[in-house]
Amino acid sequence: MDERQRLFAQVNDLHHTYLRGTPLETVALRGVSMQIRTGEAVGIIGRTGAGKSTLIQHFNGLLRPRQPGRVIIEGQDMSDPTLDVRALRQRVGLVFQRPEQQLFERLVGDDIAFGLKQLGLPADERRARVRWAMELVGLDFDRFRNRFTFSLSGGEMRRVALAGVLALRPRVLILDEATSGIDPRGRRELLTHIAEWRQQSEVTLIIVSTNMDEIAELVERIYVLDDGRVVLCGTPRQLFADPVVLRQYGLKVPQVSALVHRLSELGVTMPRVPITIAEAADDVWTILNS
Amino acid sequence: MERVIIRAQDVYYSYEPGAAQPAWALNGIDLEVYAGEYLAIVGHNGSGKSTLARHFNALLTPSRGEVWVNGLNTRDARHRLAIRSTVGMVFQVPDNQIVATLVEEDVAFGPANLGVPADELKRRVDWALQVVGMQKFRRQAPHLLSAGQKQRVAIAGAIALQPQVLVLDESTSMLDPAGQEEVLDAVRRLNQAGTTIIAITHFMHEAVKADRVLVLENGRIAMQGSPRQVFSQRDRLRELQLDAPPMADLAARLHARQPSFPPDLLTVEEMALEISRRVGRRREAGG
Repeated sequence: MDERQRLFAQVNDLHHTYLRGTPLETVALRGVSMQIRTGEAVGIIGRTGAGKSTLIQHFNGLLRPRQPGRVIIEGQDMSDPTLDVRALRQRVGLVFQRPEQQLFERLVGDDIAFGLKQLGLPADERRARVRWAMELVGLDFDRFRNRFTFSLSGGEMRRVALAGVLALRPRVLILDEATSGIDPRGRRELLTHIAEWRQQSEVTLIIVSTNMDEIAELVERIYVLDDGRVVLCGTPRQLFADPVVLRQYGLKVPQVSALVHRLSELGVTMPRVPITIAEAADDVWTILNS
Repeated sequence: MERVIIRAQDVYYSYEPGAAQPAWALNGIDLEVYAGEYLAIVGHNGSGKSTLARHFNALLTPSRGEVWVNGLNTRDARHRLAIRSTVGMVFQVPDNQIVATLVEEDVAFGPANLGVPADELKRRVDWALQVVGMQKFRRQAPHLLSAGQKQRVAIAGAIALQPQVLVLDESTSMLDPAGQEEVLDAVRRLNQAGTTIIAITHFMHEAVKADRVLVLENGRIAMQGSPRQVFSQRDRLRELQLDAPPMADLAARLHARQPSFPPDLLTVEEMALEISRRVGRRREAGG
């Protein structure tokens, strides 16, 4: 297969400036380059204002690249003015921060089914997809479908908004801090469900977050953005090996990784940098009994 | 004995009280909050945390039961102003709480509307901005600040009214790790200066720093105690759809494999010291 087709996104030297030429001009991206393969799970991490949201809005044509920057999505040059972005947006689902602001129907079920209706799907197919999407986000179909959207808690509203995008079964799912405000346990369950679905159906998953903990177990690679640039790239384990560098970019390693660094200061060497609590428990058990 | 500043007695609340079978967001809450304490309230989404928080300054009043603030019943409309001057609130999204075009004007908004005289107003704004570490930004436009900075301005606006109690309703959940630290530092300084803190949060690492932790489930208090008492009960927390803080979880797993390992460690520092002490002892015994 052609190498370009197997890439979801290829970004070269991308710059972006808001309010260009005004006194409020703000530079958001200062030459970002990256590649995301089709079917890959990638984290884009960085503190508030690092340029994460600006970057991913180039992935479905909400923003277009300017010279000399280039963004190729699924083999299509995004600076091409004749590009059919509507077709692209049906394949690339983007869930924004505070997705609860995207709710507008009175009933939960209707809100999730809205996009499916626009696609003209028959009623039984719509119902099946709504049920599937609600299960994926952890909302019981029978209990929630006839609830009023305004009566939901903040976390429940976010799940409904997410279900509305998932019901469309996008080939690429981009979550832009879409899960902040959902409690940590629910958030992890939700992301784990999405990751399972991704593996089964070879969906490309891009998670934008300020929080290393929540994505460490879910993504294969992480790009760290700071001040509009890619400053680090690697597997979670590679990145967590250096908490000092991450702190410099306003980020924190998971506590189990921090433990390994504190232990090494105390003269105790652990076999690896753990990502999960289970890994840390195994490692500590080993050194206490070796 | 410690002074009770907020008392909730058998509080029920429903968002649709007229329904034949109302869903109770609060389901019989009995609670005393003590002056000067740092109370963390945790629970999964929909457990009733925010609903309870809104009862503390009469934004909501109970469907059944009573809430008193400094002995004033929140149901009595004549007490509203006194209650809201006593209990300040900061919410989740800072943008929704900022009203003015300059940081210092935003902080002054509350007390100015209460008719605080100019000299006193200036003193209060200075003090509030200093507590949250935002003096440098006083002439800036709030929308140009980072989310953590905006949230600190929102806190400054709340404390400029000099409340005895500050309620933070998931005030750090939309912030990045550095922003969370900024806000928590400001809150800790306030608590040390005597302000009672009620922090609604779903970040366990935040709740670890409180004097007392309350766990809500289905509008009821399911657990309460010191962070160490509550967070060492990993299995009970799991039933309540919560995770213990990472180090408490790790301690519980190690304790299960080796009963002599303490089950109630909470922080990275405690865990690192315990492991290094044990490794040291083995080395001595071995060599």
